[in-house]
Amino acid sequence: MKYVIPILVAALLAYALIRRVNPYEAFIRGAAEAVPMLLRVLPALAAMLGAITLLRGCGALDALGNRLSPVFEKIGIPSELTPLILLRPFSGSASLALLGDMLTRYGADSFIGRAASVCVGSTETIFYTLALYCGSVGISKTRHALPAALAGCAAGVVSGILLVRIM
Amino acid sequence: MMGFFFAISCIIGIVLCCFGGSGSAALDCLLAGADSAVELSISLAGTYLLWMGLINVASEAGLIEKLAARMHKPLRLLMPDAGDASASVTLNLAANFFGLGSAATPFGLDAMKRLNTVNPDKKSASNAICMFLALNASAIEFMPTGVIAVRIACGSADAYDIVLPTFVSSVFSAAAAILACKFFESGAGGK
Repeated sequence: MKYVIPILVAALLAYALIRRVNPYEAFIRGAAEAVPMLLRVLPALAAMLGAITLLRGCGALDALGNRLSPVFEKIGIPSELTPLILLRPFSGSASLALLGDMLTRYGADSFIGRAASVCVGSTETIFYTLALYCGSVGISKTRHALPAALAGCAAGVVSGILLVRIM
Repeated sequence: MMGFFFAISCIIGIVLCCFGGSGSAALDCLLAGADSAVELSISLAGTYLLWMGLINVASEAGLIEKLAARMHKPLRLLMPDAGDASASVTLNLAANFFGLGSAATPFGLDAMKRLNTVNPDKKSASNAICMFLALNASAIEFMPTGVIAVRIACGSADAYDIVLPTFVSSVFSAAAAILACKFFESGAGGK
């Protein structure tokens, strides 16, 4: 994998020269679009990250975790995993940090440790991705994107824990 | 949905902070979020400049169109109204698959731009956009590099032990996301 991407980039530039496209000018034209796009994304990120930080900071996420633990237990999700599962859709870096804590506390190769690893690996930071992608093109009505993404996330978590049990 | 989520989480947060005895903590949290948005944008800016430049080289050389033509048919099952976005969608999913998170985002943003040009209502996500976002959120990943790095750091004897279950469960996750999209597309009558 270490060599594939750099070689592809070199091949791309060579191909552009063969096709008589000026790679330098094409690169500049493309990169120029990155700046306005970043500016379009920034307000959406500020709103979303603000809401997420607030939700964590005020303890609502922890309170929700305490409520949901018994429900999660019924569908086979150990209560130790609840905080991680709730945090995961909101923040990638925070959930990796929490995963680190859990692996140290329960052991990286314990059932909890492996299940936590799979949960983080098979899901995404849904809220962040949605805000970023929709913000970049100015979409404010996300329709069924969020419920569908959450359904995918739930399926990933439940099947992941099941797989760790049997594998 | 997003507006509702934003308002509700802010209101809950502010009310809880006020009951907790410190209303200003709520504003501190909101400000910290805005700050991290700025930091994040700056740290991502270089990656975006580089990859959006390279994507445009590929596009002007005609490669994106070639790949789009090839991927059009298979992707049409998932998103019939994809326009010329099939190449960027493919590249985004491929970059995610190989765990190249930083390269995946510019492809994804390019895909969003192309998907939205064929979207009749620019403010509202089309079925194709919802499908793309849901697929993206289910993270089919062959190498969860971040998780493996944490496992190694925490002294796992077999850090790669979780690769297979992670991959299989992300396939389940993608399947559920696709089914949910198809369900909403039919059930909600496109609205």
